[in-house]
Amino acid sequence: MNEDRPSSERHGERDSQLSAMFDGELSAAECELLARRLARDEVLRGQWTRYALIGAALRAERGVALHDRVAWRVQSAVAQEASYGDSSGDAANSAIRPATVVPATSSSAPGRWIRFARPVAGAGIAAGVAAISILWLRAQPGDPQLLARAEAPAPSTQIVLTPEPGPVPILAATPKASRDTASEAAVFSATPEPSSRPSFAPPARLANYVVAHSEYSGPLSRRLALSGLVAGEPAEGITMPESAAPAQNSKPDTKKVATDAP
Amino acid sequence: MTVEESDLVLVKRVQRGDKGAFDLLVRKYQHKVVKLVLRYVRNPAEAEDIAQEAFIKAYRALPQFRGDSAFYTWMYRIAINTAKNSLASRDRSPIAYDLDLTDPEESHSVQTKLQDPDTPEGMALTEEIRGIVNSAIEGLPEELKTAIVLRELDGLSYEEIAAAMECPVGTVRSRIFRAREAIDKRLREVFEGGLGRTEEMV
Repeated sequence: MNEDRPSSERHGERDSQLSAMFDGELSAAECELLARRLARDEVLRGQWTRYALIGAALRAERGVALHDRVAWRVQSAVAQEASYGDSSGDAANSAIRPATVVPATSSSAPGRWIRFARPVAGAGIAAGVAAISILWLRAQPGDPQLLARAEAPAPSTQIVLTPEPGPVPILAATPKASRDTASEAAVFSATPEPSSRPSFAPPARLANYVVAHSEYSGPLSRRLALSGLVAGEPAEGITMPESAAPAQNSKPDTKKVATDAP
Repeated sequence: MTVEESDLVLVKRVQRGDKGAFDLLVRKYQHKVVKLVLRYVRNPAEAEDIAQEAFIKAYRALPQFRGDSAFYTWMYRIAINTAKNSLASRDRSPIAYDLDLTDPEESHSVQTKLQDPDTPEGMALTEEIRGIVNSAIEGLPEELKTAIVLRELDGLSYEEIAAAMECPVGTVRSRIFRAREAIDKRLREVFEGGLGRTEEMV
């Protein structure tokens, strides 16, 4: 129906509404509709400004400059401010678009806490499972090699840090032990032993060493080695020099490696 | 609907995120607020600065505005407080309007100070606008002139004007609109692009 009327007539009615709205004489519904239109119509806002100017000029407000410099400055300043509430719909199409986003409300805070608590809870569960696994492994009675290695941490790192040429007699013969050694290497490789300290054989290796050399060694050195083995750490003076590898020294050693190898 | 209710529609739009609605309120009341501040400071440019600050304060405080009073009344309080704070911070005293200015020379001096625009260009523009509006008013038919004067100078509502002029309210609305249109047409002819943004002109 509105399309049938000439454009000037429609504009005249709209401008008449604008004049009435300026004077507060428009109905609330019409006022709301016109305010939406004003939000996106710069020409209409210019007309609104001139209506204010006409009133100021008629009242001859002394000292008041008849321009809209104040409005211009305020508009520039307000553009930097955050907009309020929900700026969806027609308000979002306003000529003065909000420059900043309204900060998140406090209602979203629980969601943030849950988001941050999830990885912490996951890490806690993983640590608990790891601790239970370690305790369970330590409580296993049937594996004396594992127990011996758990009680003697320093020598276990030495196995990794001092590679030996050729097949390693004992460790190469026990796949389980070598798998454990590999896992320990990842843990202890960052803190190697000082190179000045003499390298000691691990208890299992020492035991084999004692057994292999029992028929050749003297009673005193055999007793010292046995006492070190019982105490869980090598006796002072009983070292395993690189050159004194059992496989290279004696025939029985070679046989032992051959029988234990997979 | 009253002016207060009409302003409240715009205020609610601002509270919903429409900054353009606040711009309309500023455009509507900027001259009145500057005039109010000029009661406290001498310099019109300084009055404009204070008015600007007051409007920005009002925008920031608008979420707390509940419409218990009219927007303009609320805005007035902010402007007066801003002007007083400005004076206090600069340790200056406001102009004493209630002085007994018996000397015509002294009275004229105060009035001249109040009328001093900030720049010659601003003064020229203001005078030009006043001249256009006054000449346009003089050229209006009597019923239009009466309607617009009763509205703008005396602040009567449409209903009061209708009673005074013995005509329907709709006729008053039409007469006021036609008067504004005639004056606005003259302003647009002079300034071509309109006075939507006169900052560049000044």
